Amino acid sequence: MNQVFVEKNLRIEFPPNVNVRKFDDENTHGLSHCMKAVDFIVEEPKRTLYIEFKDPFHPKAEKKDREKWIREFQSGEIDEKLKYKFRDSFLYEWSSDRVKKPIHYYVLIALDNLDPVLLTSRRDDLKKKLPLFGLPPAWTRRFVDDCLIFNVETWNKHLPYRVSRIP
Amino acid sequence: MSLTKIVLDRMTAFEKLIVEFSPGINVFIGTNGTGKTHLMKFAYAACDVSKTSADYAEKLTRVFLPSGGAPGRLVRRAVGRNAGSVEVHRSGCKLKASISTLMDESKKVRIAGADEWRKKPIESVYIPVKEMLSVAPGFRSLYAQRDIHFEEIYADVLDRAYKPLLRGPVDEYRGRLIRILGRYIGGNIKTENEEFFLSNRQGNLEFTLLSEGVRKLALLLVLIKNGTLTNGSVLFWDEPETNLNPSVFGTVIEVLLELQRHGVQVFLATHDYVILKRLELQRCTSDKVTFHSLFLENSDVKCRSTDSHIDIHPNAIADTFSDIYDQEIRKTLTGDDE
Repeated sequence: MNQVFVEKNLRIEFPPNVNVRKFDDENTHGLSHCMKAVDFIVEEPKRTLYIEFKDPFHPKAEKKDREKWIREFQSGEIDEKLKYKFRDSFLYEWSSDRVKKPIHYYVLIALDNLDPVLLTSRRDDLKKKLPLFGLPPAWTRRFVDDCLIFNVETWNKHLPYRVSRIP
Repeated sequence: MSLTKIVLDRMTAFEKLIVEFSPGINVFIGTNGTGKTHLMKFAYAACDVSKTSADYAEKLTRVFLPSGGAPGRLVRRAVGRNAGSVEVHRSGCKLKASISTLMDESKKVRIAGADEWRKKPIESVYIPVKEMLSVAPGFRSLYAQRDIHFEEIYADVLDRAYKPLLRGPVDEYRGRLIRILGRYIGGNIKTENEEFFLSNRQGNLEFTLLSEGVRKLALLLVLIKNGTLTNGSVLFWDEPETNLNPSVFGTVIEVLLELQRHGVQVFLATHDYVILKRLELQRCTSDKVTFHSLFLENSDVKCRSTDSHIDIHPNAIADTFSDIYDQEIRKTLTGDDE
């Protein structure tokens, strides 16, 4: 049976054999008062996925939250938040001695009008922030290997973990 | 008095095509070779002859420059085919050119509806991809005197640009657009002895010293200032994005939307995502915008029109970006870059 999780108005299904953890669970994380956390961590054979969902316009979102999202999205503040979520999650996992494979950071933004042009441009911005560009020559290791930004349609097109909206 | 429709039957790239126009902004998109420029030239030539005594078919040959000036070469080539036609419609009348490839002079070209068509002249301008203001000095006289191989749209756009200013005060909206464009190009436009200058506090700058993008916006400014683009006129603009930095597209779209709101019918052919996106974001619900997607189906050009950007299909521009995005994702997922 598939493993099903609900994140606000989104439902995600992982096949039964996939090793997935709901990472930002307050009961198990234990440090949510001082560390940010991505929504899920998935262990694939060759890499670990850090997955973050953003569903700013879900039906229960209040007007002020939607306006805050737009403000943060337009100012690039959202990339800062995504960056810190990733880094805090990495530090948490590193401290738990669970960093064994290359890490990919996948962000799903559930906005239909984020077309591939805008998704590509957001990805470039996030790559600069994480950072994935311009790394110092002295660095012999990476703490993040790649990142991708999806909308619901492109997520389902490319990944085997089906996301749907809850009616 | 805007154009309402074009009907092409076995002409140039088209086997049979009917396109209904918006009275506002019409945007043609499609891959190379789907006839965007041809469509605009057919429509422009019809507008132009409404103000002159020129024959529509003659104008078409000067606009398209078929080899030997033979209008029959505009007929789509196919075995057993010897005739084609183009009709341009507006409210209450239409202009039709039927063109034959036969050698019989009397049957080569037939024009219908010209008298009615000329009763309501249409002011129009075609801005080609190539910038022309910097080569303006002497070009018109050279074009008038010598048989040089230039499509007539180049001489025509200079004719429009050299027009003197309209009498009377400038309309409020035109004044605003002139200020917007003037701010962007950094001055005003002056003409001396057929030469265009950008005039500002530093003096007069020759157009040859300006960037191509500034020259292009300067042309738009001149056409608004001298009243070529005013209520009832038609603007054809082929690839407005050429030589312009995308950062200025917002201004270009603002100007085009405002012209449309004041009765200028606009035709654009574009390959640019930012132009389409700006239009989508900046248009109001009352703005009249139609996107015409031209595409090839079994070697024939077809057209699908929609008023909504999101419904453009096929959308060669968006499809290309989707391909790039998909390629990026595939590369990451398959680890090709490792």
